[in-house]
Amino acid sequence: MNYRLVARLTGMLLLLLAAAMLLPVAVSLHFHDGALPGLIFSGCVMAAVGLLLRSVVGRGASLELHERESYWITASVWIVVPLIGALPYLLTGSLSDITDAVFESVSGFTTTGSSVVPDPARLPQGLLVWRSMTQWIGGLGLILFVVALQRRLRGSTLALYGAEFSGTQQRRLHPKIATSVTRLWGIYLGTTIVLIVLLALAGNGIVDSFCLALSTVSTGGFMTSAGGLDGYSGLTLGLITLFMFLSGVGVALLYNFFTFHWRRLRRNDEFIVYAAVYVIAVAACAVSFGLNGNGLGVSVTYSLFHVASTVSTCGFYATGPSQWPFAASVVTFLLILSGAMAGSTGGGIKLRRLMTLALYLRNYFTRMLHPNAVFTIRIDRQVVPSDYVHKIFGFVFLYILFIIFGAFALTLCGSGIADAFCLAAANISNLGPSPLINTMGANLEYALLPEGAKWTLMVLMLAGRLEIFALLAIVTPAYWKKR
Amino acid sequence: MKWNDIKAVLRLIGILLVAEGVLMGFCLVPAVHFADGTVAAISICTAVTLAFGGVLWACFRRYRRIGDRRMAYLLVVLLWLTLTVFATLPLLFTGATHSITRAFFEAMSGLTSTGATVFSDVEGLPASVLLWRSMMQWFGGFGIVLLVVALSSRLGINKYALYTAEASGADNSGRRVVSTVVAVRRTLAVYLIATAVFIALLWASGMQMWDAVNLTFTNISSGGFSVNGDSIASVTHLQQYILAVAMLLSGVNFTLLYLIFTFRWRQIGHKIEQFGFYLALYILSVAFVVGSLHWHSGIGWSDAVRLGTVQTISALTTTGSVVADTTLWWTPVCFLLLMLSVCGGMAGSTSGGLKIMRVLILLRNVRGILYNRLHPNAVMPIRLNGNVVSGHIRSNVMVIFMVFGLTLLLGVMLLMLCGVNATEAIGASVGCLTGYGPGLGASGGFGSYAAFPSVALWLCSVLMLMGRLECMTVLVLLLPRFWRRG
Repeated sequence: MNYRLVARLTGMLLLLLAAAMLLPVAVSLHFHDGALPGLIFSGCVMAAVGLLLRSVVGRGASLELHERESYWITASVWIVVPLIGALPYLLTGSLSDITDAVFESVSGFTTTGSSVVPDPARLPQGLLVWRSMTQWIGGLGLILFVVALQRRLRGSTLALYGAEFSGTQQRRLHPKIATSVTRLWGIYLGTTIVLIVLLALAGNGIVDSFCLALSTVSTGGFMTSAGGLDGYSGLTLGLITLFMFLSGVGVALLYNFFTFHWRRLRRNDEFIVYAAVYVIAVAACAVSFGLNGNGLGVSVTYSLFHVASTVSTCGFYATGPSQWPFAASVVTFLLILSGAMAGSTGGGIKLRRLMTLALYLRNYFTRMLHPNAVFTIRIDRQVVPSDYVHKIFGFVFLYILFIIFGAFALTLCGSGIADAFCLAAANISNLGPSPLINTMGANLEYALLPEGAKWTLMVLMLAGRLEIFALLAIVTPAYWKKR
Repeated sequence: MKWNDIKAVLRLIGILLVAEGVLMGFCLVPAVHFADGTVAAISICTAVTLAFGGVLWACFRRYRRIGDRRMAYLLVVLLWLTLTVFATLPLLFTGATHSITRAFFEAMSGLTSTGATVFSDVEGLPASVLLWRSMMQWFGGFGIVLLVVALSSRLGINKYALYTAEASGADNSGRRVVSTVVAVRRTLAVYLIATAVFIALLWASGMQMWDAVNLTFTNISSGGFSVNGDSIASVTHLQQYILAVAMLLSGVNFTLLYLIFTFRWRQIGHKIEQFGFYLALYILSVAFVVGSLHWHSGIGWSDAVRLGTVQTISALTTTGSVVADTTLWWTPVCFLLLMLSVCGGMAGSTSGGLKIMRVLILLRNVRGILYNRLHPNAVMPIRLNGNVVSGHIRSNVMVIFMVFGLTLLLGVMLLMLCGVNATEAIGASVGCLTGYGPGLGASGGFGSYAAFPSVALWLCSVLMLMGRLECMTVLVLLLPRFWRRG
């Protein structure tokens, strides 16, 4: 195992985080919010640890990468970075409990958006900016940063690339991985900047616009005030709805969109399903709201917003209609599990996988009647190999297993069974807060959960973000067997 | 679909209706003995069922072959529905309930050997009805095994169809080494002998003959109905352990049982892997349940061991007999019991759920995938008991798992739409689909489904049917393609 390389890459990422810390520091300096010393100090710690790992431990590392290293890098990066990212919460004194701080940090980097902060509006502005930046950095993936930074990596960079970014192996933007990654970052950054400007033009404060835009584009879902998005104008909500929908589309696909290759969009089966699911879910929600005595306008607009928030696993909510019907909860729960498109920043099982399974199921039923028939599954006019289908089945099985074990652990910490399932599902799919959870009632405030429950949820968030296999790979005996 | 096939299906239904009628006739014994005033009602039901079945059998006695595979699926579902409809008669005619919904639910719960009941006051029911409830489970439990054995080879369809049309698939007992008739005879012998042995054991341990018969019928079939309001909580400790053994056997593959009973232990060798996993799962769960009963609920060791062991067996074999008011137990324990019932017993037994074999194949699949991530070019076949699991079975297992999960999820959602609260919806959906029976909250423990709205009861009946026939058999009937000509 090439430990030096692992240390080197982790260190580089920490240095980058330290550099990113400059922005919160500047904000803090401008607003005199009292968080300045804490932010500077945590930035220094990041830089120091980063330098130590990169230049001392990782000096002279060979840039040869194997499958094993890529999993080790994934795991180490995703454990070290959220831990260090918790420092600003602790050092500014905003969260006094270590569990709380780590929870907030993990929730940020995994773009879950579950928050233990009782009232985000009272956080220092600088910290607020840091909080939304964690989501943005985690959104496209920490590993993608590494790949973009260390362009001379040799060997199986593809495994590294696929570790946290599902479904993209099939359609890279460029034959060279480093180039595709740069393009991905470009499109991600561009979208974010556009949204910040639009939100500011819609009359929101600059810090608010910045935080909301980062939460939206990364499908994170941290909000800047306790009451969800209630206080914002209709135009703001509309913009956020649109961008949540776009964030649920794979970033690679957005690249085609912005470079006017619209025909590729139309030919993308997953996109068509995504759009169809969105429209149908909105219709179902709107009808159920309407039947519960809400006006037509409220029903439709709120459904548009809410469904976009759920399907992209962003997790924004606004109070909206007073009556929250069960039918809408049902739709919501199904959407949580399905998630957005593969290759997007959202979580969940991903539509591409579900499409494959649905087609497989259809073939299976037909084969029950015509046992000798031979079928293939085609997505985007390409045949999906049966080996790949088995992998998807394995993934879904593990996903459900994680939800069950997570829910079990939560009941050990005192949750009710139904609550436990909701919490586990919402966090493994990186949704975070959701109107569903808010209407399920009972004590589902993340801040009020016991310690054990918080740690369980953190594991679930990480498992969901890394799509389980990357996390599980390093705990298998085969991984540690000597070659 | 050919007319001749339909006639053959009707003949088979006729035969089983006659069997059902004969069993119904046995209910006259307690009706006369206890003089509960239901003699007339039961006689009428028996006569109607026998007449119906007899006419069908007689009319179509010459049509023995089913050529079309679609008829196999139709047959299985139609069979279960017809038997259920006739099984409601004794419940309705004796005045045990006046609601068709409730009677249908109870009959479905009986014949699928689920054990969910709508009667909140079981002890107030006439003796003949009580025996009928037990009979239904005994009949249903055996029926499903019989169906597996008989249908699979009778239809002359290849192994692939066998795994889908039958109920307890995925076992390598799919290799037929003996003829159908012999297999049926062996299964029947094992079932009858086991029943007789346990009745004798319970009777010898000091139980009333009446209770011994009923409890044996419901526990050997992994059913879970009881003649007492508190299920098996009030019988002696020794009797609870005896019943636990009965339940345990109900979760074991019938071929395996036959081999054990005939002392052909050497042949068991190739099935031992599944058994080992079953045992490990069972020991771990019992340890957890017993531990939490002792440390969390403060129950003394001997009681904790007894309650924990018996209840865990009851859950893992999806029997659903209850030894104590489980609704008062620690939430994780209730959760674990539910999840165990999802795992279910062994393939080819009377128990429901996913079946241990499938869970094992699913886990092996995951292991293979993880290995593949490190060695992308490795070919990873799934082995079970030393044999490679074929791609067909592998995909069959995965599809059933998917459909099972989806049905469970939809069941919860729809039950919530009917106005059942979330926790109870989860309990009821799992309880009915896996054939465990008791759910959570009002329907858990000694409780009943009496408070459920009618729509929810129908939904639960559908879930029970789907759970027993492993979803696919029912769902394939809903395809437009199924009904298309050609």
